[in-house]
Amino acid sequence: MKVIIVGCGRVGARLALQLVGEGHQVAVVDQQVSAFDRLGREFSGQMIVGNCIDEAVLRRAGIESADCFCSLTNGDNRNLMAAQIAQRFFKVPRVITRLYDPIRESVYREQGLETFCPTTLGADLVHDYFIDGINRGHAGPSIGHPEPATGHTEPGTKPPALRAS
Amino acid sequence: MSKEAELPYVIIVGGGKVGYHLTRHLLERGYEVTLIEKDAARAEWIEHQLGTVSVMVGDGDEMAFLATTGIERARVVVGATGDDEDNLIVCQLAKVKFNVPRTVARVSNPHNVAVFRALGVDAPVSATEVLMGLIEAELGSELVRGVAVKASGTCLVDLALPLVSALVGKRVVDIVLPRGGFIVCIVRSGKPLPPEPDTVVEPGDELVVYSQLLDVAEVGEALARA
Repeated sequence: MKVIIVGCGRVGARLALQLVGEGHQVAVVDQQVSAFDRLGREFSGQMIVGNCIDEAVLRRAGIESADCFCSLTNGDNRNLMAAQIAQRFFKVPRVITRLYDPIRESVYREQGLETFCPTTLGADLVHDYFIDGINRGHAGPSIGHPEPATGHTEPGTKPPALRAS
Repeated sequence: MSKEAELPYVIIVGGGKVGYHLTRHLLERGYEVTLIEKDAARAEWIEHQLGTVSVMVGDGDEMAFLATTGIERARVVVGATGDDEDNLIVCQLAKVKFNVPRTVARVSNPHNVAVFRALGVDAPVSATEVLMGLIEAELGSELVRGVAVKASGTCLVDLALPLVSALVGKRVVDIVLPRGGFIVCIVRSGKPLPPEPDTVVEPGDELVVYSQLLDVAEVGEALARA
């Protein structure tokens, strides 16, 4: 699969490395050359320095033949614009956008954009841990398979305290 | 109702040089204008200059803030910041969430003009594109007297025909311009004539031609060759 990632921050870089490791073809776009340091010297994917809302830059990343497009820069508006160029202009089959603002997220989701919001995800995660005693943020079976809240947990199965990871 | 009250309400997002002068100009013409500026110090400066209370400090892309600006009765919203992505999102939110009838966006990267139009902005305006059109007109052909660029991305080109032009003696119907361009008006001895199909071009005529933007040089060359 050919994937374009715009924004080589923590999330973008981690995803790029993961996908390359799985044998996918990956192109990462970022304005800052230094951002690519996160990928390490061994990274075998394509790295493009440029503005992700410039169609010429996206063409250089091979957007015309991409299967997936991920908008992961730090700016919501930048992510929204890049995603809309990918979806409406270049007809990339699968496009996902990160948006920090939950309100903008709901507006653009209504408009047919696939989105996720770390703000609501993060708040829900902490809420569930404190209120329902489930730590979904911890690597383990609860990720992707949320267990129903039981209200009381067996001794020894209580999730560990939140840690910085 | 007074005449002032009937003038449409305009919201401008971004108080840089473009936003500031636009606001000032519209106020001078009696429009009701609200300027939205992120930076409180800049907003205060503009307010001081304009002597009005029409500057609001806030984020033009925050829905809750936009809702406090009276945006639902705005006839025009202008995205005038220096960032294309911010101008696009402001215009889209205005259109989709507040049913603003007309959105105008300042576009820095000329490639984005087509993108903005496809994504629902009514009038994307690129200073670079306008300047490019004028420069190309200037360099491409000495025949070009003036260019008026329209929000639709097309332009009207005012062409002076040299006496030797091969167009002299041709009928309007026989003059074929590239990419769907056509003659809008013939100026003869300083007077405009509507171009009838049988109108014959005379020495010294001036032609006003409708054409796609950035094809100005091409139009000039085609006419010079014709």
